[in-house]
Amino acid sequence: MTVAYDVASGAARRRRVAGIVRRDVYALHRNGGRLLDIFFWPVLELVIWGFVTAFLRANNVPIAVSMLLGAVLLWHAVARAQAELAMVFMQDVWSRNLLNVFAGPISLGEFLAGHVIFVAGLVTASTAVLSTLALLLYGIGVTTIGPAAVPFLVVLTGMGWGLGIIAIGIVIRFGEGTQSVAWVLAAAFQPFAAVFYPVAVLPPVAQAIAWAVPASHVFEGLRGLLAGHGIDWAGLATAAALDVALLAGAVAFLAHALRHARRTGRLSKFGE
Amino acid sequence: MDVLTVTALRKRFGPVEAVDGVSFTVGAGEAVALLGPNGAGKTTTLHMVLGLTRPDSGTVEMFGHDMTRDRARALARANFAASYLHLPAVLRVEEVLTVYAHLYALRRPAVRVAEMLELLEIGHLRRQRFARLSSGQQTRVLLAKALLNDPGLLILDEPTANLDPDAADRIRRLLAEQAARSGRAMLITSHNMREVERMCDRVHFVSGGRIVATGSAAELAGAYGVDDLEAVFLRVARGGGPA
Ligand SMILES: Nc1ncnc2c1ncn2[C@@H]1O[C@H](COP(=O)(O)OP(=O)(O)O)[C@@H](O)[C@H]1O
Ligand SMILES: [Mg+2]
Repeated sequence: MTVAYDVASGAARRRRVAGIVRRDVYALHRNGGRLLDIFFWPVLELVIWGFVTAFLRANNVPIAVSMLLGAVLLWHAVARAQAELAMVFMQDVWSRNLLNVFAGPISLGEFLAGHVIFVAGLVTASTAVLSTLALLLYGIGVTTIGPAAVPFLVVLTGMGWGLGIIAIGIVIRFGEGTQSVAWVLAAAFQPFAAVFYPVAVLPPVAQAIAWAVPASHVFEGLRGLLAGHGIDWAGLATAAALDVALLAGAVAFLAHALRHARRTGRLSKFGE
Repeated sequence: MDVLTVTALRKRFGPVEAVDGVSFTVGAGEAVALLGPNGAGKTTTLHMVLGLTRPDSGTVEMFGHDMTRDRARALARANFAASYLHLPAVLRVEEVLTVYAHLYALRRPAVRVAEMLELLEIGHLRRQRFARLSSGQQTRVLLAKALLNDPGLLILDEPTANLDPDAADRIRRLLAEQAARSGRAMLITSHNMREVERMCDRVHFVSGGRIVATGSAAELAGAYGVDDLEAVFLRVARGGGPA
């Protein structure tokens, strides 16, 4: 009996995906500073928006507190999924470990699957913590949104994955110098995601862009829901379809970036 | 059967002809060296063998699998360590090895990791973070990673480049012992003559992206009418030919 499973077997594929998940879990466990990224900034944002709503209400501005805080909680899923996916990839670049991984039998799909699974767990955990905190502080949490919160979060996390995969592709395609993109890509989409205001307030061109962004359908849905209009299933379906298109495009771009990097020798440069 | 067949590999980076028609084979159990000065094209050749860089032309066949078409199947049976690559810095040694035991789809990761810790004599470092180790210790962990899947072909890019002479000598002894005991094939690059004389059955001298001379260390010295590989190296590196 050989020491390894047959390379194409299901057992081997599961092992390789599990190897990536383990790498990410160990790295999180060994780097306490990352908890700051994952919890501190979102908590800070939550507190700031809490005060903003308190101030607005004190001045009799009619404002749906649940909407603002709900939006903060949900947008967190997009931003974290994107940034964490980029982060776990960049860690291998910084450690000069990337070539060791790619010199092994793992496929691009398995590599991504492992990271994506880890990030899904992380986003779930951090959303739960934030939501609990919001519930304690302001009496509003993900639970206020009701069962629709689950599909909302799935679609938003999916968008974060898509953007994270694009960020990885950009770094592979254009080199380590472009890594700042990896930290701001989700933020660049926020103006078009209708997080804090409806799509209708945007100028026409921006509206066209906004309707192509999965998150804007979720946040429009959230506003409708909190206004008592029920769940907009058509909007959710559109968002899910846009997610699928985004993810397919992102993976295709990453595969292209990797082919390009193998041809130009850029991949090999990640060893320097 | 040859474990590795490299045929007419070429790679150009802009104006630089990094690899200019390189062909060689590595037989089962054979230790082959690519020896040559900096910039000769050794690393580029290895990266093409490993599928990290795509050749402009030429083919690589590993264990009978074409690298462009059946990369995973080929790489599952090989492994790689390089002096310029590291492992995840913050992870503990046993965590790093556990990760790679999974990436090579080993049946019993924990058992295999324990075996490697013992083989490389790094059991006492298992709970240390990789980044905190000395260069010599890091090299041992890199080699433990490279031996995890009991590879039929071990590819090493200047394995002792970062080490002081004492640490380098220990690693060389360990590798030579390993090779003799396991019967695995090795492809090693180096610009260290002694390393190559000691560990390799066959040496290819690489210069300017081409293999300019081939033979055992003794044959090469004979062909060039000098005493040892070091003298051959100087001769070739300065553009001289056989005597
Ligand atoms: N990824 C790359 N991009 C551009 N040029 C490269 C790249 N890799 C190597 N080169 C160039 O190709 C030549 C051969 O380099 P290399 O294969 O690293 O040589 P060696 O390993 O023998 O020192 C050098 O001139 C080097 O600068
Ligand atoms: Mg080199």
